[in-house]
Amino acid sequence: MGDEENRQRFVQLALPHAGAAYNLARWLTQNEQDAQDVAQEAMMRALRYMGKFHGDNARPWLLQIVRHACFSWLKENRPAERTFLADDDDSLQEIPAPASEEPQSIALRKAERREINQAIAALPVAYREVLVLRELEDLSYTDIARIAEIPVGTVMSRLSRARGLMRTALLPATRPVLRTVPRAVNGGNAP
Amino acid sequence: MKHNIDPHRIDAFIDGELDLESQLEIERQMRIDGDLRERVEGARQLQAAVREQADYHEIPAALRERLDALAAPKTAPKMAPKAAPAASSRGAAALVERWFGWRPAAASLALVGIGALTMNLATMQTSQNDRLLDEVVSSHVRSTLGQHLVDVASSDHHTVKPWLSSKLDFSPPVNELHLPDCEFLGGRVDYLDGRPVAALVYRKGRHIVNAFVWPSTAKDSKADFSTERGFQTARWSQGAMTHWVVSDVNREEFNAIVRAIQSAESAK
Repeated sequence: MGDEENRQRFVQLALPHAGAAYNLARWLTQNEQDAQDVAQEAMMRALRYMGKFHGDNARPWLLQIVRHACFSWLKENRPAERTFLADDDDSLQEIPAPASEEPQSIALRKAERREINQAIAALPVAYREVLVLRELEDLSYTDIARIAEIPVGTVMSRLSRARGLMRTALLPATRPVLRTVPRAVNGGNAP
Repeated sequence: MKHNIDPHRIDAFIDGELDLESQLEIERQMRIDGDLRERVEGARQLQAAVREQADYHEIPAALRERLDALAAPKTAPKMAPKAAPAASSRGAAALVERWFGWRPAAASLALVGIGALTMNLATMQTSQNDRLLDEVVSSHVRSTLGQHLVDVASSDHHTVKPWLSSKLDFSPPVNELHLPDCEFLGGRVDYLDGRPVAALVYRKGRHIVNAFVWPSTAKDSKADFSTERGFQTARWSQGAMTHWVVSDVNREEFNAIVRAIQSAESAK
């Protein structure tokens, strides 16, 4: 009985979000094959633990399981990326934010789809996950905090850094460092 | 003078995550601080670029199949014979195991498939599609703004299909979609790509979905997804028809709708 009830709840609540599960796994593992394996494993786990879910929106709950499965996978297969995560959040903060006096709108040239994808892929995974959850899954800070198991304040700061890094990555390669100052037209002729 | 607003707060502001008072305070400051306005505008541009252009990776058919098998009832299935072989739990387990055994071969095949698809997309007549994309989105927006959403309001495709066929020089495929909280509202005749086309209208939650169909000579193709002015769109060819779907639902639901239309089509 319990099994059958679990299965029905899984079909109703979790299965509709399989697409989001795969998209998150794909962005975190960065390849299609591993994303399929990890997403499938997460869905199997969700089926097993369906009884523990109480609520009506299973999306954050499911994505938390997926995220967990991805990080286990990363730990085993991408230890370098994982080391970065083991650092406490302060060290994450050391990545320089774009100079604030630089007007952000001028900097962003019209970026191609490919460039945007590459810029996201190049983000450290701790930033990549919050950006993907916010911009592609359109989740609230509260949901992201729950999924990534970090405080809401950290969601805010990581997301802000992630966007800062994106902006830097999408800057034109040769950007003028100095502001052009118009020369005095009259040279030294001023009275 | 320059207010030094924490960049985090600008991000939270464009996400609508500040408390109301702070949200209003930033709006007030933006009116007097051009620099702040520019920063907010820049942040919004970046957000729009990411949302519109970043890939939302669609779940591969193979994985979806395995998940459906995983979720299939364990008792004797009383469903369509098509799904029967995979429906027992042993079938599901075997399917999953077989998949893991076949992985390397399947992976390389998948890569070839992706390569071919990319090439196809690259050589497509993009400018024509861009123009059409614009037309399709505009038509969708018009339909949701005015009173003219449907010419024939019926949730029964047996009513809608003959009506559309009588107004058009072709008989469009008309399907009800079996998705949760999704309702078929009816159809209308619209004008796209220089010809009258069928528009089928669905409601998913509180969102309107327009599915446009007209005859084409193109061979069947996979759905090409894109985002235009914040609307999700997909186009593909199937059964000698060009399909365009547009809506403001989120991507995940949108993908599910496109899949439902495609499978309703291919089930015929």
